[in-house]
Amino acid sequence: MSTDSAADGAGVAARIERLLRHTAVAVRGALTRRDGQLLLGVSGLAYFLLYLAGLRHLGFGPAGYEVSVVSNPLTRAFRQVGPFQWEPIALVVVGPVELLVSPLNVLLGAVLASLVGLNLAVSAVAWRGPSACRLGPGAGAVSGLPGLLSGFACCGPTILLVVGVQASAGLLSLFQWLLPLTVVALLGTLLWVGSRVETT
Amino acid sequence: MDLSRRRLLTTVGAGVTLGGAGCAGDDGSTTGSRSVAGSGGGTGTPSTATDRSDGSKPPTADGRLHLDYEIGTLEEKIVSGGVRKDGIPSIDDPTFAETPPEILAPDDPVFGVVRDGEAKAYPQYILVHHEIVNDTVGGNSVAVTYCPLTGTAQGFERGPVEFGVSGRLVNSNLTMYDRGTDSWWPQMLATAITGPLTGESLREFRITWTTWDRWSSTYPETTVLTEDTSFSRRYGTDPYGQYNAKRGYYSSTRTLFEPLQGDSRAHPKTVVIGTRTETGAVAFDKGTLLSQRVLTGNIGDTPYVAVADTDLETGYVYANPESATVEAADDGYTLEGTTHDADSLPLDRSLAFDAMWFAWAGFYPESAYVD
Repeated sequence: MSTDSAADGAGVAARIERLLRHTAVAVRGALTRRDGQLLLGVSGLAYFLLYLAGLRHLGFGPAGYEVSVVSNPLTRAFRQVGPFQWEPIALVVVGPVELLVSPLNVLLGAVLASLVGLNLAVSAVAWRGPSACRLGPGAGAVSGLPGLLSGFACCGPTILLVVGVQASAGLLSLFQWLLPLTVVALLGTLLWVGSRVETT
Repeated sequence: MDLSRRRLLTTVGAGVTLGGAGCAGDDGSTTGSRSVAGSGGGTGTPSTATDRSDGSKPPTADGRLHLDYEIGTLEEKIVSGGVRKDGIPSIDDPTFAETPPEILAPDDPVFGVVRDGEAKAYPQYILVHHEIVNDTVGGNSVAVTYCPLTGTAQGFERGPVEFGVSGRLVNSNLTMYDRGTDSWWPQMLATAITGPLTGESLREFRITWTTWDRWSSTYPETTVLTEDTSFSRRYGTDPYGQYNAKRGYYSSTRTLFEPLQGDSRAHPKTVVIGTRTETGAVAFDKGTLLSQRVLTGNIGDTPYVAVADTDLETGYVYANPESATVEAADDGYTLEGTTHDADSLPLDRSLAFDAMWFAWAGFYPESAYVD
């Protein structure tokens, strides 16, 4: 029995190791190609901007030029105001564009944007490549979808106004879990896509 | 805190500010070109602290305001608003200016307060991001509060205690907590429904929902709340819509949360001027009141009369137990042969405030609706 368990454990570890190796190779392969780099950059940046807009930290306002910072930014930066949302510490206005800077949200948005970009880059490159016959054209879109949803996780019930649904306890608790679920989903889809790419 | 430091930080720019101010503690100030130097007291008290329950209490009224529900029922109806306690930060160190911010248009809503000869205006576009201002007006410690989802601006005596935003809602209404006892107070009810002060009602004062040009014309000496709130916000952006002209949540038939009780007597976002006493409630359609100038209704068997103030585009409600005849005149209202201003009829005035109809009817389903 113990021998079997050890063998099973070794088998699982080997599978995980192979999965990670495959994914790493797939990511590296995608990023060595120009179309992969372009897709990562464009989709990552687009997602990042959408994420900030979803937070209402980025948008349009009265035109002007301004940089203002709260007087205690290091304290304020860690003050959580909602699920996965932290206090802005600065306002940057350039022309009609307004940006509230919340360092932890910027960091979180960058991580999510990277994951979305990588998913799309690997999916697209694998689909276009001759050896990745098991990936359909929808893989990229599927892998990017949870990332897009996460952009709304931060907005709380205000997004429901747009959708036209009344807030309920269930929906509000779902908002709290949407972002961590998104991270898991993005990592999951990246591993799934990576495992299906022929790396030899 | 010292003004010289604020000026220095403004001058040297953001990069140095980040490094320098982080070591200096929380003085509640903001630097930058939108800032207005000044201090609303300079106590150095950090904003939005949640653990300041020191047992001190806000002053409460002798009697309890009428409720159409058992308190336990209201407590069960508390829901999360999607933000944490103090996630919407109150303004605890407000600053005021004699000139309005550039962004404040003449027709933009402000909430006006006059106490002991001091007039102040609180622009809706700032309060929509904070909901509570812990302030001092005419030497009195007060809280000026605003709930965007119910369209209600109300004033409360706060004594030595600050109020904060609990992050919870009842009937879509801002649920405040006091930082002395941590009792929870739905704003419209002005009555605690959880905590040590459960069942007690706050002492209220009149807040006038009007526009900046009407307020500043009536009270030219008024000061106005500035954007120097100690928080970074996009003050030109209202998360729920737009009041001038009405858009989004403020005009839609939809509500974000299910009302305690539905009522089809009017459009959900119709503005009423309502009053509630220890015995009941009555609401007057604001548009009808402004056009007809005098409306009458009842709370139980007691007649009430509402009169319009056409300068401020608001209304006042009086108990009128003798059913005295009140008539609109060119320069006010006549009562028993004498003309009076709208806010000074020789009757017992009942505190009244603007509210969205769905919110009023949700809290006071037995209320009369006069239109």
